[in-house]
Amino acid sequence: MSHFTTIFPAILPTTLPAILPTTLAVTDAQTINAALLVSALLFTCGLIGFLTRRNMILMFLCTELMFQAAALAMIAFGRMHHDVSGQVFVIFILTVAAAEAALALGLVVLLYRRRETLDSEAWSELHESA
Amino acid sequence: MSSPPIATCTLLEAAVAVPPAFLLTIAVAVSAAGLALLMQPKHRALRVGGTIIGLAGLAMLFVEVLKRATVTGEEAGLPPVFPVIFGFLALAGAVRMITHPRPVFAALYFVLVVVAIAGMFLLLGAEFMAFAMVIVYAGAILITYMFVLMLAQQSPVAGIGEPVYDRMPREALSAIAVGFVILATLSEAYFSPTAQRFRNDAVTGSIVSGTQQAWARLGEMPKLLLQTARMVKPDVATVVEFDSKSATVTAKMANGSTERFTLDEKMIPDNGRQVGVELVSKFPAGLEIAGVVLLMALFGAVILARKQIELGEDERRALAGMRRFTVDGEAGGASGDSRADASSIASDNGGSAR
Repeated sequence: MSHFTTIFPAILPTTLPAILPTTLAVTDAQTINAALLVSALLFTCGLIGFLTRRNMILMFLCTELMFQAAALAMIAFGRMHHDVSGQVFVIFILTVAAAEAALALGLVVLLYRRRETLDSEAWSELHESA
Repeated sequence: MSSPPIATCTLLEAAVAVPPAFLLTIAVAVSAAGLALLMQPKHRALRVGGTIIGLAGLAMLFVEVLKRATVTGEEAGLPPVFPVIFGFLALAGAVRMITHPRPVFAALYFVLVVVAIAGMFLLLGAEFMAFAMVIVYAGAILITYMFVLMLAQQSPVAGIGEPVYDRMPREALSAIAVGFVILATLSEAYFSPTAQRFRNDAVTGSIVSGTQQAWARLGEMPKLLLQTARMVKPDVATVVEFDSKSATVTAKMANGSTERFTLDEKMIPDNGRQVGVELVSKFPAGLEIAGVVLLMALFGAVILARKQIELGEDERRALAGMRRFTVDGEAGGASGDSRADASSIASDNGGSAR
């Protein structure tokens, strides 16, 4: 216990203020840029996942990935204008994501009971007979 | 294993040589090629190569995008380590999520994405949303997904492994082409010189207006304003006026005199309070609609998940109080009993309807 009390007060006050302002405050524009890039890449990943995955549950999970990307972009743009509205919008995104998860999973369970498979190809003949 | 660093180095050098206008597009194309190789479930060597190429593409993207963000005349301190770390974590999780053959692992990788994104939120100063994200996504939504996965998943067949629809991606190349065309246009739009200049101006110029907005939000919270004023002068009775531009409080003291004093920047209300005030003061209708959406989702989920019992035509007629189709000729003792049951149900229904 003693070395904690001796080391920590010595390190924390000197290093934390030295590190935090430079990484968090000075490079604000860079943080926003990185967040926007990550959000664009995540959205792309979610889109590709939605198109390529054949498991119905994972397809819906990929839409959640796209929701995440949208939320990150909201917060980054909100930070850019120092506005809290972006964060409020993320609350709404969260609501929609939760509602979507509940409904989508209900649907998936229903479909699974019918065909005993999660393969979305099993429902590819959901059109009128040509 | 000396090939990965060399490949990365040559790619980065090549990235330095090309004109900067095309750099983003080239980096996007490199990442796309990496992801395309990663989606080859049959060849391990291709996947290893895809990982290296994808990482190189991502590194190019990050370097270029961060380079464009440097505000002229402002000496950047440390390189932005944390955004890059969280970004790479999130992207690695996302890529693994869309390529992993086992659905449960894919869902777990999504948790990694959520945690990394929460880290990004912290860096962007959205503490409340960071923790709400972890609690709601990783704690609630993902658990629901895991439950359904466990309930509905087919057990892996011995010798073959996972079912084929989890192992083989569908139309991988065209999907990647579509996705990365969108990404290329999006990144060109986000990080074009005009947009970048606008963003840099907004970031550097809005710090003052950012604190002013925070003060204005404090002005909307009378109770908290009184508490904050009492932190400066303990014997404040009521706050008469609050000027959010200069953060000046005009207060009536306990002894009847009036005083003016300014608040310190440390007393700006924290992120959670600001989000709460913004939510209820600016978007009350949205809040109500969100509640209705959740309620409707609840109803919908209950209705969808209810087990549907297939009733025959006879039972339906009986429940509706109509005469049965069944011919009574072959009626033995047992069918007579069931008829009596059905008619009693029908009369019950009729009774409740009246």
